[in-house]
Order: sequence, then structure tokens, then C-alpha cells
Amino acid sequence: MDLLFQFLSNTGYYLADYRNVIMIVVGFIFLYLGTAKEYEPLLLVPIGFGILVGNIPFFKGFGLGIYENNSVLHYLYFGVTSGLYPSIVFLGLGAMTDFSSLLARPVLMLLGAAAQMGIFFTLLGALALGFLPKEAASIAIIGGADGPTSIFLTAKLAPHLIGPIAIAAYSYMALIPVIQPPIMRLLTNRKERLIRMAELREVSKKERIIFPAVAVILCCFLAPASIPLLGTFFFGNFLKECGVANRLAQTARTAIIDTATILLGLTVGASTQGDVFLTPKSVAIFFLGAVAFSIATASGVIFAKILNLFLKEKINPLLGAAGVSAVPGSAREVHLVGQSEDPENFLLMHAMACNSSGVIGSAICAGILWSFMVVL
Amino acid sequence: MYGFHAITTHNGWAMAFVGALIVFSGLVVLSSVISQLYKVLLFWEKRHPIFKNNNKMPEDDAPEETPGSHVPKEFPTDLDETARLYQSLVEEIGETFYLSKLYEVAKKNDFPHPHITLTAFREAEILVPYGDGVFGWNPRTENKDNEND
Repeated sequence: MDLLFQFLSNTGYYLADYRNVIMIVVGFIFLYLGTAKEYEPLLLVPIGFGILVGNIPFFKGFGLGIYENNSVLHYLYFGVTSGLYPSIVFLGLGAMTDFSSLLARPVLMLLGAAAQMGIFFTLLGALALGFLPKEAASIAIIGGADGPTSIFLTAKLAPHLIGPIAIAAYSYMALIPVIQPPIMRLLTNRKERLIRMAELREVSKKERIIFPAVAVILCCFLAPASIPLLGTFFFGNFLKECGVANRLAQTARTAIIDTATILLGLTVGASTQGDVFLTPKSVAIFFLGAVAFSIATASGVIFAKILNLFLKEKINPLLGAAGVSAVPGSAREVHLVGQSEDPENFLLMHAMACNSSGVIGSAICAGILWSFMVVL
Repeated sequence: MYGFHAITTHNGWAMAFVGALIVFSGLVVLSSVISQLYKVLLFWEKRHPIFKNNNKMPEDDAPEETPGSHVPKEFPTDLDETARLYQSLVEEIGETFYLSKLYEVAKKNDFPHPHITLTAFREAEILVPYGDGVFGWNPRTENKDNEND
């Protein structure tokens, strides 16, 4: 009988507390959003399931939990805390990205730069709310709307916040269709939303091959701390464009990125153990994440409007919202908002240019913030 | 510590301003460079031939195969074998042709010693005169085939 009671006292039913239950509900919400609503399913499904796995109560000391040494989850989580998975994801992203539209219209890169202002405004906001500088920098990077970049920087600066920051970043990426359109509509008038973009020139293969090699030098010389992200990103793109390593490019954009995404999503989800995750800090992080994302969207749109004051050939200011690096969600949303005004206005390719420059911009920001924090 | 006091204490204003400035200038430089990239490539491709000649291709990088590139530098001594190499040229210019035309095409395709070869073909009656400077092609293999028939 004692054995039975001892066993029962070690079950999850006995050990569960309200925080585990809350997080399991959150996990189910993620799974629902990912599967039924198809909001970023490739991210929300692994994270949602990871939340379920991570919040099953267990007897401490068995080496089961993600924060316990020698547990399987702990080993898998090493890829997150070391920044390994984000680097691998960037390799795959590079092998998927087509920079043709950006090369055809380089001025759109400035919108990617403008949208990074959300990061620096949020840095100030987080400091004002009482976060330490390293925590504030990790929270601010949510404004870049790039999950792997957020995880990478947080792993380096504030590993104890990886769970809430990753969940906030991916949640807002999934909620792009809810967050961005009202901001875009609020900051533009109908006439501006109707602006049609000139057709893009054809970009030669040589340009596409040379670009990643030149870009990695320019960006990483400026912010060497972004090498783990931009180095692999441009390497992946070079594999894609050089035309002689198609097998490698194909593997990078399929098997490799998929494996990294599965492990990243599952372990980040599992890192949200109720007792670690449900804190006032997490609530503040979610609030600041929303602010960061909104400011990033707004600053991209406003900068496009400012740019139009100087350009002969006007830019549709909606494109500024695609300057955040949520690829391709924000580009798709810009395209849809544009088409809701004029069904024959095709903004997708132009928005993808802003999107890909946003990826570069947010990775540079991560490098800059990391190097700032080293001297603190 | 909260509010503006916290921002100032942690050097937040400077970090935000300098950070924004760095990322902006970095992307401005990158966009400027890529906006000039196609011009540089265009200039490189249209550079003066004298510069092109300086960049001789390494021997490993064989040029693309042209119609005449399979022609050996020295023709085989066997006339029938040589005629087989000429067969593709004859097919190109038609069943009957002026000798000058065949000579011109052979030279264009870098066939060695076309004048001597055509003379040999005439003597061997592989080139058959139809009058008025027009010739026909009658390689000996065809003759043999006919004989077998």
C-alpha cells in the first residue's frame, strides 16, 4: 500500500499546481491557433506541444526537466542556450531567401532599417520599467519580430528570460494579421495605399551571387557580434545562388532548417515551466513586446512617408510595415492590405525586399546590442 | 530604479541613439553598394578588349564547344576519314555548292589546310564537278555502299 501511495504522490496529478494548468491551457491555445487557424503552424505547433511537455509536473531530481542537468530535454535545450539552433535556422533562411527584389530596388532596404527603431524605443521602455540593461536589450529585440534573433540574443544576455521572450516574439509573429493592419490603416490615407510600385528590373545571376559575399563583409565588419546569424544567413544564400552547390542549398532549406525548427520550438516551449514562466516579469515582457512590434511597424510606415517627400517615384508607405523581419508574414499582410484597396496592386515582391532587409537589420541590431552589453 | 532615472543611469539614451545610428548607416552603406553593383558589373562586362585579353582563361576552363572545335589540328592522312569530317559542312551548305563556299566554311571552322584538302577531294572524285563551278559531294563510302547494293 505504501508503494502505491508513494507512486501516486510522484504522479503529475498529485504534483500539479495551478501554474502548470495555466501553461497547459496556453499550450492548447497555441496548438489550436497553429492547427485550426493556421497561424504560423510551423512555429506554434512545436512550441505549443513543447509547452505541454514542459509543464507536466514531475518529481524533482529525476533528471527529467529541461532545467535539470543530464536530462534529455536539457541536452536538447543546449542548442537554444548556446545560440546553435538560431544560427542553423538562419542558414536555412538564407538558402530560401531571394534577394532579387532588394537588388532591383535597394532604396527599400532603408525601410528595413527604419523598422528597427522599435527595438531601440523598447530598450528605453524596458529600462524605464526597471529591467536591467541585459534584460532590456533582450526584450527590445522582440521589436525586430524575428524569433531566432530574439532567442539568440536572449541566450547570450539573459538566458533566464528565453521562455517568455521567445513565446512573446513568436506570438506576435503569429498575430501579425491582427496587429499590423490597423496600424497601417491608421498611419496612411487611401491615396497613399493606392500607390503602385514600378515594375522591378531584372536582376542578373552575377549580382545575386556577389551580393551575399559583399553583404556578409559589410555587415559583419560593422557588427562582428552578428557573425553567428549573418554569417550563416549569407552563406546559405550563397549556396543557393552560386548554382554549383544545389544539393547543399536544398538540404539547408529543407532537412536542416526543419530539424532546427522542430528542436527549437519544442525546447523553447518546454522551457516555459509554470513556476519559471508565470512571473510579473513575463507579463511586462509581453506588454513591451507588443509595444516593440507596434512601434517597429509604425516607424517603417512613417519613414516611408518621409522618404516620399524626397523621392520622385513614390513608394507605397504600406511597405514600411514589412520592414520588420517576420518573413513572409508581414510582407503577405502588406500585400493583402494593398489589395483590399486596389485588387490589381501587387506589392508582395516589393514587400519581400523590405522583409529580407529587416532580417539583416534585426541581426545587426542583435550584434550591436550584444557588443554594447559586453562593455557594461 | 524606474523611469527616466533608470534610462539615464544605464546609459540608455546613448545606447538607443548610437545603436539606431549604426544600424541605419550600415544598411544605408549596404544599399548604396548594391545600387552600384549592377553598374560595376555592366562596366566589367563592357570593358575594353585589351583588358579582356589580359585575363586569359586557365587551360582547365575549356571554352564552350563550337561546331568546329572537334576538328583535330592535323587531319588524318586517310582521305575517307577526312571526308567524314567534312560531311557535316556539306550537309550545312546543301547538296550542290560552289567550291569557294565549301572552302570558306571549312576555313571558318578552323579545318586545317582546306585548299590542299579540297584539291585531294577533287582528285579522288569525292568532289564531283557539275559544271559552272558547281560541285556535288560523293564520298567513297557511299560509292562502296552503292556497289554492295
